[in-house]
Amino acid sequence: MFHMRNQFFAGMVSVLAMAGAAQAEDIYKIGISAGLTGYAATVDRAWSDGVQTAVDVLNAKGGIMGRKLEVVVEDNRSNPQEAVTVYRKMVSSDGVNIFSSGCVSAGNAAAAPMVAKSEIPMILCSILPKQERDVVWAFTTLPPAGFEIEKRFEYLRDKTQIRKVGVLHDPTPYALLQKDVAEKVAEKFGIEVVAVEAYKQDDADLSVQLSKMQAAGAGAVMKIGLGGTTLTAAKNLKQLGSDMLLLTSLEDLAVFKPVAEVLGDKFFFVASPSQVFEAYPDGPLKQAIGQFLQPWREKFGDRDPNWASRGWDSIMLTAAAIEKGQSFEGPAVRENLEKITGFQGTTGTYDFAPDKHQGISTNPFVVAQIIDGQVRIAQ
Amino acid sequence: MVSEQASPRSRHFASAGIWVLAALIVGYALVFGGYIATIVAFALIYGVFVSGLNIFMGLTAQVSFGQSAFAAIGGYTSAVLTTTYEWAPLPGMLAGIVFALLFALVIGFPTLRLKGHYLAMATLAIGLITYEIAVEWESVTQGYMGISGIPPLGIGPFEAISDRQILATLSVIVVIVAFAVTRIRKSRLGRAFAAVAGSEEAAGALGINVARYKLTSFLLAAGLASIAGSLFVHVVGYVSPEVFGMHMVVLAFTMVYIGGLGTVAGPVIGALIVSLLPELFRGMRDSQDLAYGITLILILIYAPKGLAGLAQSFDARRGK
Amino acid sequence: MTPTGTLQVADPVLDVRGLSARYGHVEALKSADISAGKGELVAVLGPNGAGKSTLLRAIMGLIPNEGEVRFLGNSLPRRDPVGAATKGVVLVPEGRGIFGPMTVLENLELGAYKIGGDRQEMERRLTHVFELFPRVKERLKQVAGSMSGGEQQMVAVGRAMMADPKVLLLDEPSLGLAPRVTGEILETLGTLSASGLPVVLVEQKAPLALKLACRAYLLSLGRIVATINPREVKSHDELAQYYFA
Repeated sequence: MFHMRNQFFAGMVSVLAMAGAAQAEDIYKIGISAGLTGYAATVDRAWSDGVQTAVDVLNAKGGIMGRKLEVVVEDNRSNPQEAVTVYRKMVSSDGVNIFSSGCVSAGNAAAAPMVAKSEIPMILCSILPKQERDVVWAFTTLPPAGFEIEKRFEYLRDKTQIRKVGVLHDPTPYALLQKDVAEKVAEKFGIEVVAVEAYKQDDADLSVQLSKMQAAGAGAVMKIGLGGTTLTAAKNLKQLGSDMLLLTSLEDLAVFKPVAEVLGDKFFFVASPSQVFEAYPDGPLKQAIGQFLQPWREKFGDRDPNWASRGWDSIMLTAAAIEKGQSFEGPAVRENLEKITGFQGTTGTYDFAPDKHQGISTNPFVVAQIIDGQVRIAQ
Repeated sequence: MVSEQASPRSRHFASAGIWVLAALIVGYALVFGGYIATIVAFALIYGVFVSGLNIFMGLTAQVSFGQSAFAAIGGYTSAVLTTTYEWAPLPGMLAGIVFALLFALVIGFPTLRLKGHYLAMATLAIGLITYEIAVEWESVTQGYMGISGIPPLGIGPFEAISDRQILATLSVIVVIVAFAVTRIRKSRLGRAFAAVAGSEEAAGALGINVARYKLTSFLLAAGLASIAGSLFVHVVGYVSPEVFGMHMVVLAFTMVYIGGLGTVAGPVIGALIVSLLPELFRGMRDSQDLAYGITLILILIYAPKGLAGLAQSFDARRGK
Repeated sequence: MTPTGTLQVADPVLDVRGLSARYGHVEALKSADISAGKGELVAVLGPNGAGKSTLLRAIMGLIPNEGEVRFLGNSLPRRDPVGAATKGVVLVPEGRGIFGPMTVLENLELGAYKIGGDRQEMERRLTHVFELFPRVKERLKQVAGSMSGGEQQMVAVGRAMMADPKVLLLDEPSLGLAPRVTGEILETLGTLSASGLPVVLVEQKAPLALKLACRAYLLSLGRIVATINPREVKSHDELAQYYFA
């Protein structure tokens, strides 16, 4: 018992020491609350590595305005309660200057009021918190929910005869947003949504939903949501002998390779520019991606660059805001983030404004396919 | 063997030490604040939840993997009533308790006839189903989006906003709960629970209505779980289904066993220790989970009845 | 020695008629008839697995069963152990059913759970138990689980007496006990029945039970195969005949 207690107090003392350690004034700290374990692990590890890559590149150039950067990453286990704890830890013990947090929407939303009260800006991978007063301090690199939808409708309208689609979605916030958009904008593209079906991330069979869509006359399935269910849907489509095309949302390319093997040229997906870098037309966007992809590939080879590239963007946006205002102070950085327009990121152009904290305003996506193992922009 | 000669003061020395340790931890958080205050606040909320679990599991020797369901009912009732309908926190919390008790009553009748593994499986299912409802019933719960903008705890003009206010409020609640559990344990009700725990057949043969007391115990546990759920949403200001997932159940079980099943102090000290342990090892990065796991196993090897149980056996030996 | 059913009392306190019970498909008790009157100690004998415990559990209503149990002239509902206990049918279960973590006093008080906060009545009953088992009085504060088997059995019988039984059912109180302690306990049971309380004693150790009993039922494969007048049993061999018949 006493041993136990001593150990405990020793620990408490070390926590105290950590909390009290005077932070070096010349280091600019970037905090990441990321789901390094749990459902968001793949995406959030990529995001964190993207942030770290950007920080390494900037530090090699001498940091921002002469100040070196440091990343503090804490695992929120993809759980909102843990997220609140690690945010709080990074605010009060690490004294981070800005958050560049991952894709666990619930965690970011749960911590948002506390972060706002601490006057620390946060640039997120996830959707923005819902409360207006929390959004003041939160920005996101996430493209509007409509972009992935519109690209797919556009493709169907311009390149196919298909005018009826089924929407298949999971219950995550971003998927729900996209589903709503799909129902709203379909008409604009001359397309009719004939069936909307939900599934869960761990469903092992989607043939019921797919059959319903087929029966409703859908010529294509718009799947919204991440994970292994895309392969499940592909296999079910094949078993049903269906002619429907499968168009899925943005995802790690590694997930798509086996899907392409099942469905071949009936399989399409939304790709971000960094995922189809080689095939992407030249221009400022390709240049921006190139700057990121070089150090990324040096370190991680052909690992999927999509989420990492947005993590990279979050740091480059931070640097831009600091340089714009010539200040590292939280309120100044926040204010200057709002003033960023026409910023060329790796996922598109960012235009922020006081009433617009979701910066990407031009649709950077393409519809792509994997043919013979090669990623191509769909023709 | 326990001797009756030792004076009450010396007999409870180590057990009192457990409370002192708990008070020191809370005191530390109160004085120094910082993120330890957040962790201790969550720990105190878990203290309420685990105290409920302890009534059902420790005092009555039943198993429930589904207590998270009642926390979810309390939490969501509070969240919805205080945001959409702009109720004050206290009536919202009371409404949550009423809903949780009604739900516990409805499911308690059929499930409490089950024993052992069957009861465990049935309650597990209840927890999972409630989680799914929280995800799917979007018009009310807003699904995975969660409900934000939940007001802080408060009565009338007083609101617990700062860390200190929150910690003080939660500490008072935990002390009240611990006091209530002490009283229950010593009451006729508590003795009936203990009889059911000892042997359902023997209790039944003595004329103790086993089914009724199991249900009563279940209701008490559900009520405390509901309060914990409400406290959580008011302290964080946000709720989403993940808060009340399996994570909560696993954590609560760890706390009740580390703290000491069937003791009053166990749930409280268990909640505090289990919440703080990962922080002690946070500096170890990737080995954090490993160190945490090993520490838990060591505690359970050297204190199989939990920390409060260990203290009790110290007292028993001293009193000899 | 008489083969089945001639030794009946005129006005029994407990009168069991055609009681059957089954565990799943196994019929563990087949239409048993037993009775116990005022001041009688009746023994139920039989080898392991004969259905002795089943008989007591069925009387209490702890397991599903069919048949009739008349108690003080009224029929007892067949699946209501709490009701039966409340009316005064009290069972000391096999293995004693002592609440180990509780003190002796707490165990005893639980026996009188139904009287609630009536301290006076509680004291009266406690005094009665102390008269029966003086040793229990010395150990009131002790945790029951830390006592010897014999002492635990005394607490178990004492706890049953706290319920103020009108008939006392005991399931193998001698199990795992030293002969001397067993003798002590059975002697107390003899005293109890002599004072008027009907006692039904299930025992595997037939000679011990036969010393006290005014009547013994021999149970084999769930059926009562003989009713014995202990005074007519001349030798152990005679009894063994029934055991192995």
